[in-house]
Amino acid sequence: MASLLTGKVSSGMTQPLPSSVASDLAEIVGHEHVITDPDRLLVYESDGLTAYRRSPRAVVLPSSTEEISAVVGLLHSNGIEVIPRGAGTGLSGGALATPEGVIVGTARMNRILKIDVENRIAIAQPGVINARLTEATNPYGLYYAPDPSSQSTCTLGGNVAENSGGPHCLKYGVTARYVTGLTVVLAGGRIVELGGVGRDPYTTLDLVGLFVGSEGCFGIATEIELRLLPITEGVRTLLGIFESVESAGRAVTKIIASGLMPAAVEIVDGPTIEAVEASVFAAGYPLEAGAALVIEFDGTEAGLDLDADRAEQCCLEEGAIEVQRATDPEHRMKLWRARKKAFGAMGRIAPDLLVQDATVPRTKLPEVLAGIDNIGNRYGLKIANVFHAGDGNLHPNILFDRQNQNELELVERASKEIMQLCVDAGGTITGEHGVGVDKREYMTLVHGPAELEAMAAAKRVFDPASLFNPGKVLPAVEVKEANESRSN
Amino acid sequence: MRVDLTDSLSRLLPGEAFGHSVPSSLWAVLRTGVETVVAPGSTEEVATLLKWASEMGVRVVPIGTGAHMCPRYPRDPFIVLTTSRLKEIQHYEPADLTMTASAGASIRDLSTETAIYGQWLPFDPPDVPNRTLGGLVATGLSGPLWAGYGQLRNHVLGATIVCGDGRALRLGGKVVKNVAGFDILKLMVGSRGELAVITSVTVRLFPLPVVDQLLVLEATDVSELVSTARAVATAPIMPASIILSGTSDGGRLLVRLHGAKVSVEADQKSLEKHTGVSFEVRNTPEAESLLVHKRDSRINAELAVRVWALPSRIGVLLDVLKKVPGVSLNADVYGGSVRAYLPVNLSDIESSLAGLQKDIEELGGTIRALRIPAEVNASSYFAKPLVDEGELAAGLKRAFDPHAVLWGIE
Amino acid sequence: MTGAPAYEALGQALDAQKERLLPCVHCGFCLPACPTYNRLGNEADSPRGRLHLMQAVVEGRLDPSSEAFRTHIDRCLGCRACEPVCPSGVEYGTLLELARETATKAVPQGLPTRFLLKVLGTRALRSPFFFIGRLLRGTGLAALGATVLPSYGPFRAIRLVLAMLASTTRWQPMASEEATSGNTDSGSHDVSRRSRVAVLLGCVQEGLFARINSATVRVLEANGYEVVLVEGQDCCGALHAHGGDLESARMLARSNIRAFKASGADLIAVNAAGCGAAMKDYGILLEGDPDFVQRAEEVALAVRDVSEILASSGPRIGASIPCKIAYDHPCHLLHAQGVEHAPITVLEAVPDAEVHIVAGAEECCGGAGIYGITHPELGGLIGGDKVSAVRACLADVVATPNPGCMMQIGAGLRLEASNEGVIHPVELLDESYRRAGFYRAGGAE
Ligand SMILES: Cc1cc2nc3c(=O)[nH]c(=O)nc-3n(C[C@H](O)[C@H](O)[C@H](O)COP(=O)(O)OP(=O)(O)OC[C@H]3O[C@@H](n4cnc5c(N)ncnc54)[C@H](O)[C@@H]3O)c2cc1C
Ligand SMILES: Cc1cc2nc3c(=O)[nH]c(=O)nc-3n(C[C@H](O)[C@H](O)[C@H](O)COP(=O)(O)OP(=O)(O)OC[C@H]3O[C@@H](n4cnc5c(N)ncnc54)[C@H](O)[C@@H]3O)c2cc1C
Ligand code: SF4
Ligand code: SF4
Repeated sequence: MASLLTGKVSSGMTQPLPSSVASDLAEIVGHEHVITDPDRLLVYESDGLTAYRRSPRAVVLPSSTEEISAVVGLLHSNGIEVIPRGAGTGLSGGALATPEGVIVGTARMNRILKIDVENRIAIAQPGVINARLTEATNPYGLYYAPDPSSQSTCTLGGNVAENSGGPHCLKYGVTARYVTGLTVVLAGGRIVELGGVGRDPYTTLDLVGLFVGSEGCFGIATEIELRLLPITEGVRTLLGIFESVESAGRAVTKIIASGLMPAAVEIVDGPTIEAVEASVFAAGYPLEAGAALVIEFDGTEAGLDLDADRAEQCCLEEGAIEVQRATDPEHRMKLWRARKKAFGAMGRIAPDLLVQDATVPRTKLPEVLAGIDNIGNRYGLKIANVFHAGDGNLHPNILFDRQNQNELELVERASKEIMQLCVDAGGTITGEHGVGVDKREYMTLVHGPAELEAMAAAKRVFDPASLFNPGKVLPAVEVKEANESRSN
Repeated sequence: MRVDLTDSLSRLLPGEAFGHSVPSSLWAVLRTGVETVVAPGSTEEVATLLKWASEMGVRVVPIGTGAHMCPRYPRDPFIVLTTSRLKEIQHYEPADLTMTASAGASIRDLSTETAIYGQWLPFDPPDVPNRTLGGLVATGLSGPLWAGYGQLRNHVLGATIVCGDGRALRLGGKVVKNVAGFDILKLMVGSRGELAVITSVTVRLFPLPVVDQLLVLEATDVSELVSTARAVATAPIMPASIILSGTSDGGRLLVRLHGAKVSVEADQKSLEKHTGVSFEVRNTPEAESLLVHKRDSRINAELAVRVWALPSRIGVLLDVLKKVPGVSLNADVYGGSVRAYLPVNLSDIESSLAGLQKDIEELGGTIRALRIPAEVNASSYFAKPLVDEGELAAGLKRAFDPHAVLWGIE
Repeated sequence: MTGAPAYEALGQALDAQKERLLPCVHCGFCLPACPTYNRLGNEADSPRGRLHLMQAVVEGRLDPSSEAFRTHIDRCLGCRACEPVCPSGVEYGTLLELARETATKAVPQGLPTRFLLKVLGTRALRSPFFFIGRLLRGTGLAALGATVLPSYGPFRAIRLVLAMLASTTRWQPMASEEATSGNTDSGSHDVSRRSRVAVLLGCVQEGLFARINSATVRVLEANGYEVVLVEGQDCCGALHAHGGDLESARMLARSNIRAFKASGADLIAVNAAGCGAAMKDYGILLEGDPDFVQRAEEVALAVRDVSEILASSGPRIGASIPCKIAYDHPCHLLHAQGVEHAPITVLEAVPDAEVHIVAGAEECCGGAGIYGITHPELGGLIGGDKVSAVRACLADVVATPNPGCMMQIGAGLRLEASNEGVIHPVELLDESYRRAGFYRAGGAE
């Protein structure tokens, strides 16, 4: 899709890798796991955000911590930058290659090393797909809670790097809450263990917490210890249809204020419903639906109907046209359908789509949504919102056509205004997709120079020569400063 | 304190910052080193103080109440920076379940306010009502309630801090999901005042549970309760907390269930089915006093240690610890840690501790001193960080407190 | 990057279809579904990577004759497991055929592939070819060769081919073919007359599995369908399309469309998943042919897997055949046609036949036409996993409704000297009906 959005293409010739380095890499991981052919490298030029593309100098696919350590050691000793990559589903260009960089992919590191049922932890390699961990632990009555919408394909390593969230993070929290320990490969290939269940957290600082969300800029996570939860006994899913997104938003506030603790609260707005209904994924929503609200409760079976009744009452009080309720998995999937298919459906009705990600205080949702609508109207752009309402985590999707050069510019400007709007409302520029390259320049909207320098300083502790994923997260100025202080 | 130093500082801060006596709550062992007590009234004043201290090469120890200082205290004289004048609630939006308050506000005061809206901070480390918000965050303690609510570190949304060299930083924000940039906020949780002074904190609140029910099981020896306690911890439901306590008088398993009445009742049934025992139910006032007693009755103990291991090892840890005569034990079954209050009349504290340390480490656990009499060198009884972790921590210490004004990490 | 003009013409096939590429949002949801990516870990061997390469060809950034494009497009199994998981509904199968055409125009396919496609697509060459095949099978030479030939060098491929041939033999416990060819009048049963059904005979199916075709006819009739014979039908063209020879595929499609249209049948029953998938896509294959496109779509709409027809009316229950069956989904039934339960329903119409779904049944067996021969390493790896999963079922027989899969799995089992037979589900139902006496003159039970 957006791969022809040439506005931000970072092309330019990539330096081929010195042949001695290439052969040394092959020595470590095996010839077939080092990719240097420029034609083949094309497939690694983007992650899930195709507005940016740049081929790496090479891609290396190691299979163990030791191999990663040797690969990183070799590359760093040659002054070559390393860009970690999981499944490449990131939406902020985090896995985009730098002009001098080599991608180290975790596709072959896909083994679950240990499931400790007694202590409810699992240790996995970083290339394990999020959903596979839940599949593997289900037989023990356990599961892995963070459920990004991309969970069927994104990797745990990517989740750690992005501190990913998902619909059920409202109740269960984001990735950081579940990462209890890490084995990481740091600058120069040094293997370091951080944290771990059963270790006294008071002996040191929360290094695990700092590493989570570091977007591949501190090092590569090569083994991940994760906390598992027991599968809840029951689930109730409600689908409320509203005439407007404002009334749906008010219902959300009411539900939360009433002391209920839903597992997920998601809103699909009118333009999105329109898109879903117009696509092959039509869910059969009433035409007058201006917003759909998906609410889910989980926990002990006995209390669920009560919770669902109260939530339904809140919806009706805020003018819901209808409220449906599901208990069995099939019906539940049906109620989630519009939410889950929204992304694909939009891909089918508009040539291009820019998925934005920002968070605002939940109470500010109605005014921010009105503001986004206003921005869309002013620029003549269609903006559809699908979002984690319970967390105030917005995903405005700007629909456009990349062939139209003029529209491209409008998209960029609208996008920046939306960010500013969210920040002004007391929010922040990303809820779960990370900063990557895409949001780098927005960082100054939320952080001052001192905060950015403190972040840069933290990075320098892990990666003094800035050889891990440089040019990400911190805005250009900061990077320059970091470079300067490096050469000093 | 040297007169010239006092002079130069008094010119920088308003009069209200001075003239405070050493708080009576400050842990006695620390009292001897105090040069003076300074109580800044704002983040800016904290920054001024720390800048000045950096230039002068003066040590500063931030305290909330000072009651729960980590026993790794500095050897040289120091200024106590108390947050006692930083008490206000800056922002409370019940509908968003978030609150921002200054570091010196006590958890008791904050809870009084949040209770009006049916909300609370679900953390219960020892002495929690008396703790300050800043102290709670600086120690990063969640208490056994983290079984049901997750750790404090996951619910701190933002903070204002002043680094050792006086740089003020605003970290995180007011929203629940905050991933814009590297998470140095997390680093502050549990940093024990070693990197920066926290001046305000934004936390996520939770709705108060409709029913707070305590299930109790008693036995003559705590070890008899271990298998039931572990069965509760691996049951398909998640209690709010699971505490196992033991003294020479016997053992007690306390399981706290939160939720609607029907679901709490169902949870109790399913726990009883899963464990094959039937619990006694204690209702609110009695339950609360029991919990508070367990939590707080020994906070003034002079000798206390904390032992950590994998949660599944809790039984063997208790077996070792209960051998100490007169010991009182408090275990967080879900988290895998035990607090042990030891009698000070132990014949030889140092060799007893060393013996415990050896036994615990053989079992794959670690032991750390919480409270220790002044004459004993506490630093031998610290669980050491792994070498690499220590190096990274030292690097971060240099980044945040380059002149080592604050105590801690060497 | 090479200059675009040199291969612009070659990229045309894809270029004309770039609208089909656009819905790909690069989300990567298709990665874990792909057997080649799962085993190699290289994104160029993933659906998204292959689409990206196609896109690069369209954009003039990649030469379709480049080794990279040819290798990775060629290495695709064409199993289409990437389609149902795609949130944007990218028509990967169609794009693959176009990419293959683009690639083969740039650099023609290897000789064995071209030879095979030529033979299959030409009636006059087909009969002698399959005659020799049946001869090797009948004389036991195929089975012998598969046992005695070494598994290295040039012998490896020959050994595989012979094992595939040998595996097309009828599963022993079933009665001999002659015994079943009785009178198939089922009119006296209380099954009301249903639609008129034509049966696609196919090339490999008719050449090596004629027994499945006759079983199909009998079983349909026993279920009250009127089976019409269709003269002038040909190979469905699936293998040609998969191989990138879209012109031959279109030619074959046109013959079939003419023939089936003329037959006046309501439905076209297909007992080979690959053929069914191809025929259901005739409309797309011929969308550039204004004279044919409408008829192509009509024919495509009439196509059903035979199991769909049988399951829709709830197949008649036959006589008991106690056996343990391992069922494996053919990709072209499950992923390409979205048919999951129908063949199992067919098997369940046989009392005492115990059906187990092979673990990982949704993953390709590695057959994919002649993949095992053209890609011995990877094909062997994928096939090996399938054979292990089948063997783990400890079943008497494997059922899978596609000749390619029957041969691939059959050969794999044979080479590991494992004893499971291989059948098409209708074969079992047919035998069950025979035992029930449905085929006896008069049809009395
Ligand atoms: C359709 C769709 C829906 C999505 N929904 C959600 C959602 O609900 N919630 C959400 O949070 N995100 C969502 N995402 C974004 C994305 O899936 C997540 O960010 C995911 O965690 C990325 O994982 P990945 O394996 O694809 O990582 P990649 O994209 O390959 O990499 C992401 C970042 O992580 C780094 N990285 C990867 N592996 C490692 C490692 N082992 N060690 C260190 N750094 C590493 C990379 O350098 C890069 O900076 C969605 C994406 C798509 C396409
Ligand atoms: C009986 C007993 C049991 C204990 N059990 C445990 C235990 O189980 N586990 C454990 O880990 N600890 C334990 N401790 C140690 C102690 O609990 C903690 O130090 C306590 O949480 C701090 O709360 P406070 O507000 O009173 O802070 P204070 O006692 O004032 O200070 C505690 C720490 O936080 C720092 N601090 C306070 N305010 C700030 C601020 N605004 N900015 C920066 N730093 C600040 C101080 O420098 C100090 O390091 C125990 C102590 C006792 C006496
Ligand atoms: S799942 Fe579909 S949209 Fe996503 S990358 Fe694969 S083909 Fe493209
Ligand atoms: S058709 Fe099969 S092998 Fe080819 S890309 Fe799709 S899933 Fe992979």
